[in-house]
Amino acid sequence: MALKKAKRDADAGGLSITSMMDMMTIILVFLLKSYSTDDISVAASDDLVLPVSTTMVKPSLAVNLVVTRSLVVVDGVEVLRLTEEADEENPGEMLVAVPDDEKKGQLITRLYDRLLEKAEDSKQLAEMTASEEHEFKGRILMQCDKNLPFSVIREVMYTAGQAQFSEFRFVVYQGT
Amino acid sequence: MSRRKKIQDAEELDLVPIMNLVTILIPFLLMASSFVTLAVIDSTLPAIGQPQQVEQDPDDKPPLMLSLMITNMGITVAGADAVLFPEGAPELAEGEDRPPTIPCPGSECASLEDYDVLELTRILGQIKDEYPDDENVILVPESRIPYETIVKVMDHSREDVDSKNADGAARTLFPFVVIAGGAE
Repeated sequence: MALKKAKRDADAGGLSITSMMDMMTIILVFLLKSYSTDDISVAASDDLVLPVSTTMVKPSLAVNLVVTRSLVVVDGVEVLRLTEEADEENPGEMLVAVPDDEKKGQLITRLYDRLLEKAEDSKQLAEMTASEEHEFKGRILMQCDKNLPFSVIREVMYTAGQAQFSEFRFVVYQGT
Repeated sequence: MSRRKKIQDAEELDLVPIMNLVTILIPFLLMASSFVTLAVIDSTLPAIGQPQQVEQDPDDKPPLMLSLMITNMGITVAGADAVLFPEGAPELAEGEDRPPTIPCPGSECASLEDYDVLELTRILGQIKDEYPDDENVILVPESRIPYETIVKVMDHSREDVDSKNADGAARTLFPFVVIAGGAE
């Protein structure tokens, strides 16, 4: 009797992997379908929600400028923090803005220095490699939060323009 | 009898190595998969410098210089005055501001949906009929206009998805966007 019970226990302990294999196979196929090797990636957060657009142009590698609702980041390095100011025309509402002590007119000084450094680096790379692929074309990828006011984007674009970046590529989510 | 049992035993596959492989593959693919597709919109800064004087044939059409002013009151479609108002600009009462070409409902656009972008596409389609070779549009947004609205206006001035070309693609309107300094 005791021997029979032990045998039954051993049978119940054997794991059936077949159903798990089915599940894994489905997940594997789904992930293989969504596998992508894009040149750029977006770290989505509450502060950075890209707008949706119908454009079909694929992104290519360039200097990556990210403007969230609180930060300006160039190629993964934080450059400055944005503030929220009271909106003069709509009392009670806040508007994201570049702090006044970071600006000279419309030029954001710290961002200008960083972008100029990037432009010089790109030019040096182009000289050293002497290849058309690395030629400096003044291209910059801009990832901006969809709720940012145009005043911030204008100042960032003006600064980038002064630092020899004049071809802007606004990164968006592709949609219909 | 015992031979048949032996054959049955031999048929059982050992799935554990495959499971190991799949378990390693899944985290790798999870890291590399993207569930949203990214795209870009090309734009340039307006050219800085003295305007170039171009000798113009009197028979030629004057340049279009299409610009879209985006404010919280609506979207104003403008060009060189002589172009968009061949008979002269409409008379306005003294002190009256010219209303936007596409006004917002209730005089102010509170959200993105309030902008009548379909009407914008229709008007730009008409302009494109007159100027089929022109491809540039200058956007002049107001300071507090959200970036999302600018992208939406860009989308609807780039192509008309409702009218198709002979090859079935959406009709191209003004694909080259320049963002100008903007209205205060």
